[in-house]
Amino acid sequence: MRILIVDDEPPARHRLAALVDALPGFDAVAEAGDGQAAVKAVMSCEPDIVLLDIRMPGMDGIEAARHLAQLPNPPAVIFTTAYDAYALEAFDTQAVGYLLKPVRRRRLAEALEHAVRPTRAQLGALAAARPAPRGHVSVRRGDELHLIPLDDVRYFEADQKYVIVHHEGGEDLIDESLKTLESEHVERFVRAHRSLLVSVRHIASLDKDEAGRPGLRLRGTDERLAISRRHAAEIKRKLKTR
Amino acid sequence: MAAPVAAEDGLGQDPGFLPDFCSPGVVLGLVLFVALLAIVLVVAGQPAPGALWSTLARTSLFLLWIALTGAAVLCYSRPRLEALGPTQGGLAALAILALVVGVVSAAAWALSAWWAQRTGLLMDTVISGGPGRFVLGNTVVGLIVGGAALRYFYVSQQWRRNVEMEARARIRALQARIRPHFLFNSMNTIASLIPTAPERAEEAIEDLSDLFRASLADAGSMIRLKEELEIARGYERIESLRLGDRLQVEWDVRTLPMRAMIPGLSIQPLIENAIYHGIERLPDGGTVTVRGSRTADQRIEISVQNPVPGHGAPASRSGHHIALENLRQRFAIAFGRDGEVVIDDSGNDYCVRLRFPEKNGVA
Repeated sequence: MRILIVDDEPPARHRLAALVDALPGFDAVAEAGDGQAAVKAVMSCEPDIVLLDIRMPGMDGIEAARHLAQLPNPPAVIFTTAYDAYALEAFDTQAVGYLLKPVRRRRLAEALEHAVRPTRAQLGALAAARPAPRGHVSVRRGDELHLIPLDDVRYFEADQKYVIVHHEGGEDLIDESLKTLESEHVERFVRAHRSLLVSVRHIASLDKDEAGRPGLRLRGTDERLAISRRHAAEIKRKLKTR
Repeated sequence: MAAPVAAEDGLGQDPGFLPDFCSPGVVLGLVLFVALLAIVLVVAGQPAPGALWSTLARTSLFLLWIALTGAAVLCYSRPRLEALGPTQGGLAALAILALVVGVVSAAAWALSAWWAQRTGLLMDTVISGGPGRFVLGNTVVGLIVGGAALRYFYVSQQWRRNVEMEARARIRALQARIRPHFLFNSMNTIASLIPTAPERAEEAIEDLSDLFRASLADAGSMIRLKEELEIARGYERIESLRLGDRLQVEWDVRTLPMRAMIPGLSIQPLIENAIYHGIERLPDGGTVTVRGSRTADQRIEISVQNPVPGHGAPASRSGHHIALENLRQRFAIAFGRDGEVVIDDSGNDYCVRLRFPEKNGVA
């Protein structure tokens, strides 16, 4: 079995790698220092199991696991944590594999033997226990997973079954509802229309056309988004406090 | 960083239910109280228009005698009264007060009678009524006023004690804040070092022990700046093992007077905050700068500065201000108004400055 070890602290990675290599049938094939590197490493090394630290700079372990779950054939995830009161509660109720640091040899062996991949419901419960908005949107292009920084997203547009992400690198489809995106990223995005969620930092100006209908101009693009009158006041307020 | 403090610190001494009647502050308060009481009594008695001032003078002189004699007796007998406890001691104090009022009243009556005889004045213009009525009446007034005053002292003393105990408990609870992450991460680092670099593991255990010893010390204890800086450097070494190149600490403290006293664990928590809220959350890490200098009024200034993740980073971790609030309280206790904890987050970096007067400890 191929194991990927993810932790931001080098000594912690070394110790886990040594413990894993000492177990017959398990190989530590790669290491990563944060969530983004972990997602990349999973795609390049295709490990069977990921030992994933929760608390890391940049993208943390729980967000990384949520992105990994989008893969067509995701690896099993075992979280490792020194102490994380909220996450531990969610672990106990959801029975996702986890290990406490310093990790015991025997517990590691047991966890690897029983490694299963967490379901989305389990990951959702974990994220709810530690409500931090994700910093990226994960997009599937074929079998590949791409991470788009939330800072690059101009707006989300609901289109029947899917949501289209309009970002600085183009457009992609994602499998999430506008409503969950809105509640997760309420700090950075504002509803502009029944089917439109716009990044506040990308808004250049709020204006009206000849017929007096309000619209938004975005930075770095000539596009003008028609918005509903109902949401114009809220957008004005957000622009002021930006 | 800190650990549970189990032992009593022995600071919460019972201040007692009686104020210290020997202290100048209490005596001054008593004199003021007596002057006000005299005005109340005289005005309430509605004296003849011409007699107001002389009545007031006589009454306050009389009351002052009672108050000062009473204070002297209570000052002398306070230790024994305190030993009896609030109920019995309070009753005994009241009895003493009644006795003082009775004796002073009798003496005042005798003095007035003697004065009246010598000058040929009518007794009624000085004190009306016989000696029995005069002494008894005064004793009753003394008992009521004295009882109320003693009750007031008891309640206010109790209140002050509660406030003090609450503050102390809060400080102890705050100092006892260990970040569980730090403990377990350190243990994990040490476990990883044992097979590969046993000497460094040993050193980490020594540094960790120093840190815990400091956090188990009394909440209010002062240590020399030199020791505090050593503890902070030990903390830095542990975190460097864990974070590797991501953590750089720049020390510029050579000009500081190393014998100056500072509350234990003042600088270390600032470095801990700088790492926890700054360096640890930056994928590429950063530099914490510790700088020592003097303020214009010759106080010592120590600043700890760190970069922080910019906009778009995951939500900030909570609990930043608990450690600083704790530090502020301890600085206020140690240095009064001269101790300052100033936060400066106007720039890109986060900076906390400690300012305090130089107090040298015994070598």
